[in-house]
Amino acid sequence: MKLRLILILLAGLAIGSLLAWLLVAGSSQVVPVAEVLPAEAPPTPTPAPEQKITLFFAGDDGLLHPEIRTVPLPEETTARIRIVFAELLAGPRSSLQPILPYPAELRTVFVSPDGRVYLDLSGPPEALEGSATELMLIYGVVNSILLNTDVVAVQVLFDGTERSTLTGHLDLSRPLVLNKYLIGTS
Amino acid sequence: MRFLSNFRASQSNKSLHSQIKGGREAALFFGYPFTFRHQPQHSRARPRTASFSYACKSRIPIPLRTAGNCYHVPAMRKTVFFTLVLLLGVVTVLQAQTLPARLEFRHQGLKVETTSIRNRVELAPIMTLLGGEAAYSASAGVWALSLGENLVQVAPDRRLVLINGKLAEAQDAPITSPGGVAVTLRFLDEYVLGPFGFHLDATAGGYSIVAGVSAGRPVTVRPAAADFSATTTLVLSLDRAADASVEARPGGGAVVLMPRSAPRIESANRLRSRRVRAVIAAPGRIEVDLKPGVGLISWNVLTTPDRVVMEFGSAPPTPTPAPIIARPVQRTGPRPIVIDPGHGGEDTGAIGASGLNEKELTLAIASRLARILRAAGHPVRLTRDGDVGRALSDRAALANRLDAQVFVSLHANAWTAPSVHGAETYYMSLDDRASDAAAQSTADLENRADGGSLDQGSTLDLILWDMAQSEVLNESARLALRVQARLNALLGLKDRGVKQAPFVVLTGATMPAVLVEVGFLSNSEEMKQLASPDHQQALADAIALGIGDFLARQ
Repeated sequence: MKLRLILILLAGLAIGSLLAWLLVAGSSQVVPVAEVLPAEAPPTPTPAPEQKITLFFAGDDGLLHPEIRTVPLPEETTARIRIVFAELLAGPRSSLQPILPYPAELRTVFVSPDGRVYLDLSGPPEALEGSATELMLIYGVVNSILLNTDVVAVQVLFDGTERSTLTGHLDLSRPLVLNKYLIGTS
Repeated sequence: MRFLSNFRASQSNKSLHSQIKGGREAALFFGYPFTFRHQPQHSRARPRTASFSYACKSRIPIPLRTAGNCYHVPAMRKTVFFTLVLLLGVVTVLQAQTLPARLEFRHQGLKVETTSIRNRVELAPIMTLLGGEAAYSASAGVWALSLGENLVQVAPDRRLVLINGKLAEAQDAPITSPGGVAVTLRFLDEYVLGPFGFHLDATAGGYSIVAGVSAGRPVTVRPAAADFSATTTLVLSLDRAADASVEARPGGGAVVLMPRSAPRIESANRLRSRRVRAVIAAPGRIEVDLKPGVGLISWNVLTTPDRVVMEFGSAPPTPTPAPIIARPVQRTGPRPIVIDPGHGGEDTGAIGASGLNEKELTLAIASRLARILRAAGHPVRLTRDGDVGRALSDRAALANRLDAQVFVSLHANAWTAPSVHGAETYYMSLDDRASDAAAQSTADLENRADGGSLDQGSTLDLILWDMAQSEVLNESARLALRVQARLNALLGLKDRGVKQAPFVVLTGATMPAVLVEVGFLSNSEEMKQLASPDHQQALADAIALGIGDFLARQ
């Protein structure tokens, strides 16, 4: 019994040693990571001019309704998209409903030469349901970005992956254009 | 750290001995801070002639017989030994996969040395070597790699790559590195150099970046053919996604171009077809040998699962037709109405507070709707008649295959605001996809048209296709209006109107197609109504009347 215990301890020690060695051996080839300096030009010292932007939030009628607010808005497309998304995430200031049912993080923005944009959002922490949820989330983001930038179409990705659909309804496998049918008139 | 000092094994047992010796050598080679010490069985600790000692009785004795001697190693020790051997194997594999700290890349007489980090190489020096640029956008979180007209965008810790505006998903992600961004050699070859027209060749001490396409990664291809009266469908199932396009050979036959792949045909001998003679793999392409007088009519590259679908017929070969939407099969007899109960199987859809599932509700209403329509003399097919999952793309495909006159998908809604309620009817939105050639390929091989198809290779055909889609869209709008009007009138539901959106389940339907959201399970009042069989019947009645109104005006 005692011998078995010793053997178990020795085996554990061996595995631990191997893992420690692996870490040490691995790190010997890793170049220390330094702070990455963005290759693009540093931001201009002057603040972005304040401009009116149109954001879409959900109404009680299940449609998207515009809310206009004034924010500092830079010229560069991806920077504008980040501002618009941040305002969407902050939520409506009126009686409208938020379109993002969870605190989504905008991770990456790809802009193609022909003006299409691919937004990589963090995925929902738990499965969402309902076509209304999907329509409000996706078209709230898509319509808001399209109205405030020179982008022609937006595809929303989740967790770095192209999703065919989010709740089993809307086709998310390609960039979407403005959906005017989901915009409420009143 | 001599932690195996008591490990015993027969010195004369060659297999075990060699394993121990190998392990010892491996340990020394990799610089382990310990060594195995193997001890002859005839040591002082155990008599040479021992068979099963008392100490072994409590364990499973494993006799090791060599040259008439019987030794045994307790199971526990053996376990420890094999664990260590396994770990050593893992270490060896990891060592083999680790790139050297510095790597040399050569291109057109120039060379650059880059550092490696976490099995990845710095990209910036390689871009400089090629005469390209690498620029980082902090707001986008994206590196833009440009060379000539080509632009590749990569993002640290993301497998997504945008190659000249086309999204791709790599097997591994770039990482942020001291030099900016670093990628694996596979990523470099496939997603950076490939789009720039280069590939990697391994050389002594590094790699050479040379023009042209590499042999590519292997892809297993399983061909299957189905003969119809006038056409043959050839499906090449791929074991992974691969760029592919099909061209008709001027002298007959066709070739599937897979520029970044090395295809390997599996079970080719099982291919039996009246029109396809053989499918032959070659680096970067698959040759399709056709019988005389047979030509390529259409082709399509599809996903989930990944496959290339070609249609051959006796029509004269066309100069590389574009992907197509096939016309529905021309049927004799009444055309069915296809009802699609949304979700099913593991996909429950929305769930109300009472536990009412969307999948159960849609099936219940669909069954009632089918009974009503059948009673009215319409042939009806359900996309599912039980609690089974069915791919969204298969549902409209079934309607296409049956040449249905109407396709109705039933769903129940949910929304975070519990006050939202009411039924609504959707039809397909095409405004964002009419110009997207890829979107035109959704009504694919499942449609299996014997009667040929539209060739979108010409402007005229594109216009015709657009007109056909517009016609279907107009009809879908009319159907949606009729159904919604009946839902509103019969049930006194709040009119949430008719809307358009690109729903997956409606994509590719070649007949009037709508998606009906019968109500909100997130609204407690409406959820109670939806659970009631009377309400379900009323909804089915209303939808049936709407379909009837639409068909009466056809």
